[in-house]
Amino acid sequence: MGKSAPASIPPTDPDTGGGPAGSTEEGTAPDPDADPRTESADAGSPRAALELSGVTKHFPLRRRNTVALDGVDLTVEQGEFVSLLGPSGCGKSTVLRLLAGLEEPTTGRVRVHDRPPAALVNDHRLGIAFQQHALLPWASIADNVALPFRVAGRPVDRARVTELLRLTGLEEFAEARPRQLSGGMRQRAAIARALALNPEVLLLDEPFGSLDAVTRRRLNFELARIWSEQRITTLLVTHDVEEAVLLANRVVVLTGRPGRVRHVEHIDLPRPRGGRLTREPRFHEVVDRLTALLDGDLASRAGADEGATAQTGRRWLRRRGR
Amino acid sequence: MSGSGAVLRRFLGALGTVFSRYWTVLALLLAWELWVRARHLNAIVVPAPYSVVSDVFDNPSAYAGPLGHTLLNSVVGLALGMVLGLWCAMAVWFSRMLSGLLTPLLLVMRSVPVVVMIPVVARVVGFGTPAVTTITTLVSFFPTFVMVLSGLRAAPTAMTDVFAVLGASRPMVLRRLLLPHAVPELLVALRLTAPSAVLAAMLAEYLLGRSGLGTLFADAVVFVAPQRAWGAALIATVVSVACFVAARGVERRYAGRFR
Ligand SMILES: Nc1ncnc2c1ncn2[C@@H]1O[C@H](COP(=O)(O)OP(=O)(O)OP(=O)(O)O)[C@@H](O)[C@H]1O
Ligand SMILES: [Mg+2]
Repeated sequence: MGKSAPASIPPTDPDTGGGPAGSTEEGTAPDPDADPRTESADAGSPRAALELSGVTKHFPLRRRNTVALDGVDLTVEQGEFVSLLGPSGCGKSTVLRLLAGLEEPTTGRVRVHDRPPAALVNDHRLGIAFQQHALLPWASIADNVALPFRVAGRPVDRARVTELLRLTGLEEFAEARPRQLSGGMRQRAAIARALALNPEVLLLDEPFGSLDAVTRRRLNFELARIWSEQRITTLLVTHDVEEAVLLANRVVVLTGRPGRVRHVEHIDLPRPRGGRLTREPRFHEVVDRLTALLDGDLASRAGADEGATAQTGRRWLRRRGR
Repeated sequence: MSGSGAVLRRFLGALGTVFSRYWTVLALLLAWELWVRARHLNAIVVPAPYSVVSDVFDNPSAYAGPLGHTLLNSVVGLALGMVLGLWCAMAVWFSRMLSGLLTPLLLVMRSVPVVVMIPVVARVVGFGTPAVTTITTLVSFFPTFVMVLSGLRAAPTAMTDVFAVLGASRPMVLRRLLLPHAVPELLVALRLTAPSAVLAAMLAEYLLGRSGLGTLFADAVVFVAPQRAWGAALIATVVSVACFVAARGVERRYAGRFR
């Protein structure tokens, strides 16, 4: 399962002078051995890279007012990997959109590196892969991956593009159009695009959603490797509990609509986390506990409808069984 | 032997396709010919189709020059109109102020028929080629402007979001996202305007021009040469249809790549 081509990506970002992209603006590269978990997790800590404090988000629709998020406090520290779990429609994508500056919070504060989210975006230092891939249909896959260079007005680093295509297994499709690719291949292309400029912050919205289990694990391990090399501050939204645990320093579980932080789980499992770990009991212990949390949430929402609860429970079990 | 047989078969097949698709036109022409012959109508009233066609084929030099002029006028007017329409659409997209200024003005102007514009244009730019070019330009301008502007404004949010989080400037969004996205609309505008540009050029030539098929038509009417007049109309029709078919071909071939 862990068999994958560990092609290393040369960090080629002109801004950081070839240093790892995870380095902070003060030029202090994070110590790869330091466990970010041991640092203060308080809101407003100086190391907090992403910070939501007291964020509510309402979507006023014609009659109803949808409350997507209700008093969410969430911090992701510099160089940390956080997974975000929660039932469908609980506002996970909304959290990402707030952090990307695409939405304004109704109340509360959203900060990225202690600045408004727009600041990082304007520096072209944010990488994001949306739930929908959103590739340009008229451009080849290679050109889609190269888009961040062009938008930032930088010369396209062909070697970097080729490297990313190899990493995501799309080398042969460099010249294909998005419509000639499968859904999972398009998702991979979107991830490659998100990584193109060696971002400081990576936001991933169910990036492996339409991949088969094997490819999914392979890309999980690739992502883990990229993260441990570059320590990109990453927030990953996923429905796959194993994936969340496998990759993250912390897993944040949201409640169903409206979204609130229900539970934060520190993952103490040693790295690198290979395929062997996924078969160990301590891994399953964590996965089971988080699944139960999600399950309980679904059960409480389903209320009297026993049939629906049993069905959703089975669905989670099946997911876990992979 | 078999090779020439295959060619013949293909030719007959193509002929069959044309016939099965456009038999109404052929039937109409045939009925017209029979009607003129049966009633012994004077050519001044209405010439028989055969005599019109034979006038065209017997005097190609009489038609070639004016046809060239009309084509040049249409192409120049079409190109100018489409470029202008594209620029105005981009300007309106770019600036809220320009949008407020131009949009109502252009929409009012769009509902004014070309024929009404012609005397105004004549007053402003005079007669001859400048007037013809101006009118053809105006005719091609409006559809392009409207179509392209709607294309620029219809980019999917998923894609505008991608550009937003990449930190794209507005000119960059226009260049890398909206303009490619609006190519199908531009091609629709081409399909709509290419045939009417030919007809508008001919109309302008008829009323204001000094050369071209429109002038040929006007002169033929003055000198009572009905076959020549109808021949000019025939050629204009054929050219207009050819423009439509060509523009539709371009649209079918390229529009799909952009969505
Ligand atoms: N632009 C919008 N307008 C109105 N309501 C919205 C909008 N975006 C999100 N919502 C609402 O906010 C809630 C949260 O949506 P969000 O997309 O964040 O969910 P999610 O957790 O990402 O779900 P999923 O796992 O299915 O992707 C939903 O109830 C949705 O209806
Ligand atoms: Mg979502």
